[in-house]
Amino acid sequence: MEKVATALSLQRVIPDNQLNEWEHEELIEQLAGYDEQLAKAVLEQIAIIWPVSHALCFAFLEQLHNGLLCLETGQLAEWVKGILHAYEADGLRAARLYMADVENNFLCQLRGESGLTLAEARGRLAPYVRGISGRPLQLEPAAAAATDTATIFLPRDITFYREPAANFQVYKLLTTFQWGFISQDLYCQQQARSAAIHFPGDSRQQREGDHDDILARFFNTFADQQLAQDIYHLLQTLRVAVFLRQEFPGLLRDMQPFFGRLLADRPELQRQTGISYLLEKIRQWLLGQLSGDKAGGPGGHPLLAALVEAVWSGRADNAAIITATRSFYDACCQAGPVYEPLPALLFQGEFRPGEAHRVRLARRENTKQKFIEALAALLPPQASGGEPQEAEEKEAKPPGANVLETGASITPFRHDKAEQAEALRQPGEEPRFICLDDEHLKLPEELRDLAREIEEDLGGLPAFYIASASQRAGGQGKSPARGPLQEEGEALQGGLLYDEWDFRRQGFRRNWCRLHRKQLHAVTGTFVGNTLEKYRGQIMQLKRQFEMLRTRHLFVGRQRDGEDVDLDALTEACADVRAGLVPSERLYVRLQRDVRDIAALFLVDMSSSTEGWVGTALKESLVLLSEAMAALGDRYAIYGFSGMRRTRSEIYHIKGFAESYTDEIRGRIAAIAPVDYTRMGPPIRHFTGVLSKLDARVRLLIILTDGKPEDYDDYKGEYAIEDTRHALIEAKNAGIHPFCITIDRQAQDYMGHMLGEINYTFINDVRKLPIRVPEIYRLLTS
Amino acid sequence: MQSQKIEEHFIAEKPFYLPQKNELAVALAAYANGLPLLLKGPTGSGKTRFMQFLAWTIKRPLITVSCHDDLSTSDLVGRYLIRGGETIWADGPLTLAVRHGAICYLDEVVEARKDTTVVIHPLADDRRQLAIEKRGELLTAPKEFMLAVSYNPGYQSVLKDMKQSTRQRFVALELDYPAPELETEIIRHEAGIDTPLARSLVRIAAMTRGLKDSGLQEGASTRLLVHAGLLIREGIPPREACHVTITEALTDDHELVGAIDEMVSSVV
Repeated sequence: MEKVATALSLQRVIPDNQLNEWEHEELIEQLAGYDEQLAKAVLEQIAIIWPVSHALCFAFLEQLHNGLLCLETGQLAEWVKGILHAYEADGLRAARLYMADVENNFLCQLRGESGLTLAEARGRLAPYVRGISGRPLQLEPAAAAATDTATIFLPRDITFYREPAANFQVYKLLTTFQWGFISQDLYCQQQARSAAIHFPGDSRQQREGDHDDILARFFNTFADQQLAQDIYHLLQTLRVAVFLRQEFPGLLRDMQPFFGRLLADRPELQRQTGISYLLEKIRQWLLGQLSGDKAGGPGGHPLLAALVEAVWSGRADNAAIITATRSFYDACCQAGPVYEPLPALLFQGEFRPGEAHRVRLARRENTKQKFIEALAALLPPQASGGEPQEAEEKEAKPPGANVLETGASITPFRHDKAEQAEALRQPGEEPRFICLDDEHLKLPEELRDLAREIEEDLGGLPAFYIASASQRAGGQGKSPARGPLQEEGEALQGGLLYDEWDFRRQGFRRNWCRLHRKQLHAVTGTFVGNTLEKYRGQIMQLKRQFEMLRTRHLFVGRQRDGEDVDLDALTEACADVRAGLVPSERLYVRLQRDVRDIAALFLVDMSSSTEGWVGTALKESLVLLSEAMAALGDRYAIYGFSGMRRTRSEIYHIKGFAESYTDEIRGRIAAIAPVDYTRMGPPIRHFTGVLSKLDARVRLLIILTDGKPEDYDDYKGEYAIEDTRHALIEAKNAGIHPFCITIDRQAQDYMGHMLGEINYTFINDVRKLPIRVPEIYRLLTS
Repeated sequence: MQSQKIEEHFIAEKPFYLPQKNELAVALAAYANGLPLLLKGPTGSGKTRFMQFLAWTIKRPLITVSCHDDLSTSDLVGRYLIRGGETIWADGPLTLAVRHGAICYLDEVVEARKDTTVVIHPLADDRRQLAIEKRGELLTAPKEFMLAVSYNPGYQSVLKDMKQSTRQRFVALELDYPAPELETEIIRHEAGIDTPLARSLVRIAAMTRGLKDSGLQEGASTRLLVHAGLLIREGIPPREACHVTITEALTDDHELVGAIDEMVSSVV
């Protein structure tokens, strides 16, 4: 590629002023070395990575050469997606590792080796683990099963069986087992329980702060840390197996043959002595137990057998395991000098205390921030002029106290004060109330959960958490204009902000997308006229069908009961009485309420992929629909959507609910044209809001699209599908019926997941679309 | 329309109810002071059963109205009927309850139209009056009368929300799903199954409740668990019983159905 042209295209991706001169030179040099197609592909990827992280972008360019040795140009986008995943999950280092290991990390997935891959199992496994654990645990691929308490790592694929269903069961077992480790506190992270742990040689007398990791301190007391960890992990595995036997008996029963198979795969031991032998014997004994072979105790060394039996009986807690590990270790040391580790059990996986500790610290920081924010939001902002008193109060606070004093004596201006916030806490009971002046306010659930989490982790609610919250609440009160959003300045200008669902973190990216509302200017042309002519017969028919759906709003006479007296019937009855006849009892009129109180919003995909036939068919269907709706009288609106990147999601106004179907509207329909990409989340969320405010019995959000949600940035694939899915679930929860009409040929793979199987229809013949859309509407609303 | 007889509304046998927390004490205190009661909670968590239990405890009749969006004011208050050439006034359930000092329980009150619910306003404050416009009659409720309504905050639809002017008249009690041991005991008793099985069902329910933000609108209710237990007692294998009573009742989403079935098969 020519250097000048390269420089120009590079400028479009990275503004000149963001690169210094030599970086610029080097980049141009590198790009110039590629052929035109490749350079273009690389530039596209740079455009994606650069806004995420500059450092990551340089790392990517460094590794690109290696990567290209095994990758085709077309695979580059997929690879970059993986890199970004790794980066967003674990930072730059993880992304570098991912890039360096292109062969393993990437190609295996593409080759689609036999068995069940984690990606395939995830759809079912993720809600499963969410259900059994009740928390948003992540599932990530790794070499072996493991957990760091926030993520469960699982092998990339399972190939034990030929049938995917059987392999899925293995995934399920691994996941459940790792969840067992988390639930049984493998890494001794629960403060209340681990406070009871004592072991000889503990270097720290004072453990209140718990900045150190108990397990790390424990393992430091051993000469052979590897052996100590293996023993500890094995004993914990026994404990978790006991737990699962109790909590998940069905699973263990189903998996008995599998445990038998694992047992058969264990190595034969030549020598009947040595440390490895002692450990392996216990592993095999455990597998034997799990596979249903109840016979006999663990045997072997009598002390070890006793320890194992004690754990297996289900009475051991972490403190007992710690003690047992020590005894076990000492007994092992007598058995032989050399320890040659054998592979751990499949479901036991790897032991990762360091990572777990890092996760714990990260979580602690995160909870702290969330707690402070949530509490600050709850506290009333400080009254004006409260600054001196605030300072005074800060001094008055007892430093380091777990619970603040009520503070009636601190200041006479109690009613304006947030600083008197106090978490009432009895030992062993979760904090439910916050004491503000004399009022006990019930903590909202979210805050209560956070407080409980903090207590579990730290053993108490540190006073400075509450202090920071009240400070923040006070600060916001004094200058309300200085919200976090406004600080971005011009970025906020114009447009509405919407959250976006990030399935990896199971949470929202707050105010992530900016949505702009645009007008579509009517064009005069022959399009509408031609359409009306082309479908004249069908339109007649549609109108007739739609008229039959019209609101019936009539009084039905001669009822046994009703809103009002039916005078005709009454007169008749009186006459009957006079005549000596038995009068009818049907003397009332009743208002037959058959109101079609329906509001429908049609959201039309205007992404560039609708160019051509699809776009025309979409427009034609809107014309037919509008004609038919005129006969029906339901309220409806039409909007188009498209956009590029999260900062420029756009909706195009075609017809509002209040507007009637005029030539102007016809002109706007004709003006619909392909624009950019398909980021579905923001428009769905926007119109969910619009529809929620409408007072209608049935509110429909009908989306007409030609394919997967996709945007120019990393809004692609799973992320995009999950966000769209979540936006639709939000709509559904808001009492709106979302419905998707799609013209994608490959729709079936993901639509079921994205829309829930009943809420979409799939049209594979574009030419049928104009007729089908009004028909679908009719069926939906009758 | 047959006029209802108040005697039919007495609850003869003690209903099975295990208190979750202080709800009985609160309800009795509210009753003693003529305050109306609002029960919040997910479907199948025992709201209606609690009302029956309360009615039995204070030995008053319980008149339950299941609200729907076509419920009119005269459906609650009453209307004139003509029978044999004469007009007869027939009390609606609300009037009946006021006249006889019964408990009137409006189930799923948000389902009723907002203009209908306004009729309970004067009854729900210290006036405790019911105006029967058609008869020009103003009834004052006796001390024994109690008004109770229920609603499910899980349906967070704008239209199905209670007006502040309505909800601020009530003593609000939240009845969430019972705690695990309690729920186990309830299912054991209601379905007549053994404790380990009841405990397993409770565990499954807890798992589905954890899925509430991941696609499920609500988790499995105590009522569903009782249904599952009843089928199991009849000899349906546990996994199948759970599939038809819990899994399929909760969702149509293919993947969620799969995931819930996996949870079931892990536990039973």
